[in-house]
Amino acid sequence: MERETGSRREAVRQAAALWVVQLDDPSCSDADRAAFEAWRGESFEHEAAYEREAVAWARLDRARALRPGLQRPDADLLAPAGRPRLPALARSPWARGLAASAAMALIVAGALSFGTSTAYATAIGERRVVVLGDNSRIELNTNSKVLVRFKRGVREVKLIKGEALFDAAPDARPFVVKAADAVIAADGATEVAVRLGSDGAAVTVRRGAVDVDPARAESKDDMRLNAGVAAIYDSRGARSRAVSDAEIDRSLAWRQGAIALNGQSLAQAVAEFNRYNHRQIRIADPSIADLRLAGYFQTTEPNSFVSAVTSAFPVRASQGTDGAIRLSRRG
Amino acid sequence: MAQDDEDRRAWFRREILPLEPDLLAYARRFCRDGQTDPEDLVHETFARAIACKTWSEIGNPAAFATRVLRNCALDALRRRKVLTITAVADFDRIDPIDEAPGAQSIVESREELRALADAIAELPTQCRRVFTLRKVYNLSPDEIAGRLGLSVSTVEKHLVKGLRYCSEKLGRRSERKSKVDERRSWSGRRDHDAKR
Repeated sequence: MERETGSRREAVRQAAALWVVQLDDPSCSDADRAAFEAWRGESFEHEAAYEREAVAWARLDRARALRPGLQRPDADLLAPAGRPRLPALARSPWARGLAASAAMALIVAGALSFGTSTAYATAIGERRVVVLGDNSRIELNTNSKVLVRFKRGVREVKLIKGEALFDAAPDARPFVVKAADAVIAADGATEVAVRLGSDGAAVTVRRGAVDVDPARAESKDDMRLNAGVAAIYDSRGARSRAVSDAEIDRSLAWRQGAIALNGQSLAQAVAEFNRYNHRQIRIADPSIADLRLAGYFQTTEPNSFVSAVTSAFPVRASQGTDGAIRLSRRG
Repeated sequence: MAQDDEDRRAWFRREILPLEPDLLAYARRFCRDGQTDPEDLVHETFARAIACKTWSEIGNPAAFATRVLRNCALDALRRRKVLTITAVADFDRIDPIDEAPGAQSIVESREELRALADAIAELPTQCRRVFTLRKVYNLSPDEIAGRLGLSVSTVEKHLVKGLRYCSEKLGRRSERKSKVDERRSWSGRRDHDAKR
């Protein structure tokens, strides 16, 4: 047991580690297993060394709990530069609340929000641009709310309410938007608009690409959306279609404080205006709901919208008892 | 027979392997003169411990393992051509350990998870990438080879390297309060008689 035995020990452990790796490979053959049995039977030293490496290997399976809630494997997940959260793990309040077991950690990864998340919100009629620490930008539309959390190597933004345009800056850490139970992972520099609906969300990719995983448990529903594609997912499932640049620009007219209509129904237009104003518009007569409109309107000027509608269509506007603008058929 | 072997290995995994950080700390006390590698003492202790066919009769695995380690240290001393005064003095001074609490199962905690993440993060870049895809994302070596444009044998090489690094690192850290209480005085006559 002199100095040179250290290298002998290392050689045995190396051999043991190679067996561990090979036996855990799904393509390991029966011949390989037989060769392993022979090697292990050679000495108790081999047997003990194998157990030692095998236990470490199994212990490392707990690292699966570090996997963020997105499907695409990221080889650089644990890169030193990409994990500023790890040094802070022991200190940060949310880490202290992290569950005791790795299995629990997997569950809480997407569910717990302790001190490190920041909420940004807009009131009705308000817009807001948020520039994050990684130079990513979030533009919040009216009456919207996001929760930003950079944790465990993932830049995660949860869209809680409304609509936002996310401009993800390239970074080693994945940029993930969570909206209506879906996980939208940006691939590199990406601009993606997400709007929550009543039971789902609409996703429009302006630049870059995203992977959308609508139901986190079912990876088969994964969608890859490239620039120029819009998708809607809700309780009826997920569907996507190509959209022109002009169509994307119209859907993002809110960034200029506008609503761009291009053949939408009056009902849709009214619903859109109502997102931006306390003063609501109501359609009192279902027969006018399907009138089609085109035009460019200021979000905060419902009156000019109403006068455009009443001058172009047989529609009459009146003051409702609740202060709302009532639209009904004229004549 | 095969089942007996499996039971014996399971006992070794459960009771002996988790003692590694404590055994290493204990082994260092026999190696102050630098003539013996404490890691070798632990390595040999493991080989002797797993050979124990009467494992089921061992009531206190920690005491058993430290006794084995002490014997390994004594044998190493006997193999020496030149005995140093320090080594002999050390040996007489260090008491075997008895009544140590039994091995506990490894505590699964955020510290554990953090230690794993730290260990993986410390690997060289390509090794870390391969290791992350294998252990965090559970991709097979074939899939990793295809994804990273490497041969399967290169992937294996990285995995062995990563495993060796992590197993050494994990073997050094104690996840619980040390079982080897250095202040505890020796109190078991049978330990003393074990070898001398």
